[in-house]
Amino acid sequence: MTISSTATAPRITLPAPPFVLLSLLVVAIIIAWSIAPNLFTSFDSAVGVPADKLQAPSAAHWFGTDHLGRDLLARVIHGTASSVSSAMIAVLIALFLGGLTGLLAGFLGGWVDTVLARLVDVLLAIPNFLLAVIVVTALGFSTTNAAIATGISAVAVFARVMRSEVIKTRSATFVEASFLSGGSRWHILTQHVLPNASRSVLPLAVLRFGQSVLTIAGLAFLGYGDPPPASDWGLLISIGKDYLRWPWLLYAPALVTVITVLSLNRISRWLRKTD
Amino acid sequence: MQNAYLNYVAKRLVQAVLVVLLTYVFTFIVVSILPGDPVTNILRDPQNGFSDAQIAEIFAAHGLDKPILVQLWTSLSGFVVGDLGISLRSTRPVADLIAEVLPSTLRLAGASLAVALVLAMVIAYGARFLPKRFGGGILRGLPSLFLSVPTFVIGLLLIHLFGFQLGLFKVIDSNSFWATFFAALALGIPISAQIAEVLMANLDHEAAQDYAAVARARGLRQSKLFFRHLLKPSSLPVVTVIALMVGEVLGNTLITETVFGRTGVGSLIQRSVVTQDLPVLQAVVSLAAVVFVVINLLADLIYPLLDPRVKLVGSTPRRVTTADESSIDTAPRKVSV
Repeated sequence: MTISSTATAPRITLPAPPFVLLSLLVVAIIIAWSIAPNLFTSFDSAVGVPADKLQAPSAAHWFGTDHLGRDLLARVIHGTASSVSSAMIAVLIALFLGGLTGLLAGFLGGWVDTVLARLVDVLLAIPNFLLAVIVVTALGFSTTNAAIATGISAVAVFARVMRSEVIKTRSATFVEASFLSGGSRWHILTQHVLPNASRSVLPLAVLRFGQSVLTIAGLAFLGYGDPPPASDWGLLISIGKDYLRWPWLLYAPALVTVITVLSLNRISRWLRKTD
Repeated sequence: MQNAYLNYVAKRLVQAVLVVLLTYVFTFIVVSILPGDPVTNILRDPQNGFSDAQIAEIFAAHGLDKPILVQLWTSLSGFVVGDLGISLRSTRPVADLIAEVLPSTLRLAGASLAVALVLAMVIAYGARFLPKRFGGGILRGLPSLFLSVPTFVIGLLLIHLFGFQLGLFKVIDSNSFWATFFAALALGIPISAQIAEVLMANLDHEAAQDYAAVARARGLRQSKLFFRHLLKPSSLPVVTVIALMVGEVLGNTLITETVFGRTGVGSLIQRSVVTQDLPVLQAVVSLAAVVFVVINLLADLIYPLLDPRVKLVGSTPRRVTTADESSIDTAPRKVSV
């Protein structure tokens, strides 16, 4: 029975479920937008044609035009670089600081673990968005500082996951065997603990990438990012809210943000499952 | 037996107090590294026309001429006895400013948690009961969609659809029932997604247990199995999740109150950020941390009483489900309630 069913017409197996492939495509487009925005639009993102202001989406202007006659798609595309690369900075900061904290706490244990655990408790006790807000207030309003603030607000999550992964691996039999057969602490750290821990930290990083896009958009929305004529997605949505009579000014940048974050969440989920 | 629980309570209490104090210190450090000292900026503003002697006097009155560690100590000891300091902008006590706006925010936060809980139950139980082609599959995907939409977009969407197009409420009249309801909905939707995910995962876990299989094998109807056996064990952990969500609600009121034009703690923060009113920021952030820590403390203290399967190990409650695990119970480090 089983042999005959496997022998029937060879099926093309996709490397990943179709939804995930679609998400990967979305992320690829977003990255392309942020690297070479001029390949995707011929309109200027800062200078508009006043006569063409507030036009509805059309073949010429896919997302319509804004109150100054600027092509909205061009604004979204040109805003991608700062929206997405700042989220990337945020994740890298969180990954580095949180990963290091968790690694030290889990690997060294003892009083180091106790001290770092309290620090993580403090970071967890302050609501995430509020933490980002006070850090960006302290550093000054700009998109880069918003990214740093977002990164710091996510440190605790990474520290926790890293710590528990390190402890889990450290007490595994194969690590004990490696230690007993003469492996140094450094060898164990780089050859066993880090590769194993990274398997659950990677999906978390992708997930937090999406969350960071949201947090940075929130900070930009409140006006804590770069001022106009920058065109961060959060800022575009914030401008759009003043023109509800022309709803595409709100919906177009909002839709791009949602699709990006949804794709990142999908990819993160897939990475966690395939593990 | 009673002793073990009291021991656990004492440990968690000490830990909670410590975290609150450390959070205060942490916030103080973050806030005091602000570039270009805002106090001096306000005072040196030519419009205010203070002389150098007057400025020095004001500095001395606020204790700003003392070393930073002394300032931290005065500020921290004030906080412990409930003195939150004085606002730099309005020269009114910070406690008064917060007390004024707190009721509106508590109403919003409470309503949003209620909305989130109801929505999460509809999603999780619906996903379990509805067959795939009647929307069960869609319900299952809903949380991940909810988590991908920025809070302010949800708010603006609701305002545009229900306020602007249908005319159900006016944003200006922010205290009307519908305005509060939709603000709570905007705040509650991302929260509901996280609760629903936990509920669904728990339901799947319980449904895969042996006792559920036995019940099904003996012919128990799906609905009876759900209400009699699966509902309670899968819902209890939600207590802890809701406690964790309180922090998120408090943080997101900042955005929701701005979008819906409500006055509240969120708009107070927004104002203090723009005017760099440090004592207000320091107080609000510390109080948010206090609320978060206290609610999580309560959840942790109540949980072992609600769920008899929980054994107290060290300072954290841990669920023991399998027979093997509970047999190690006699080990000296573990204590049972």
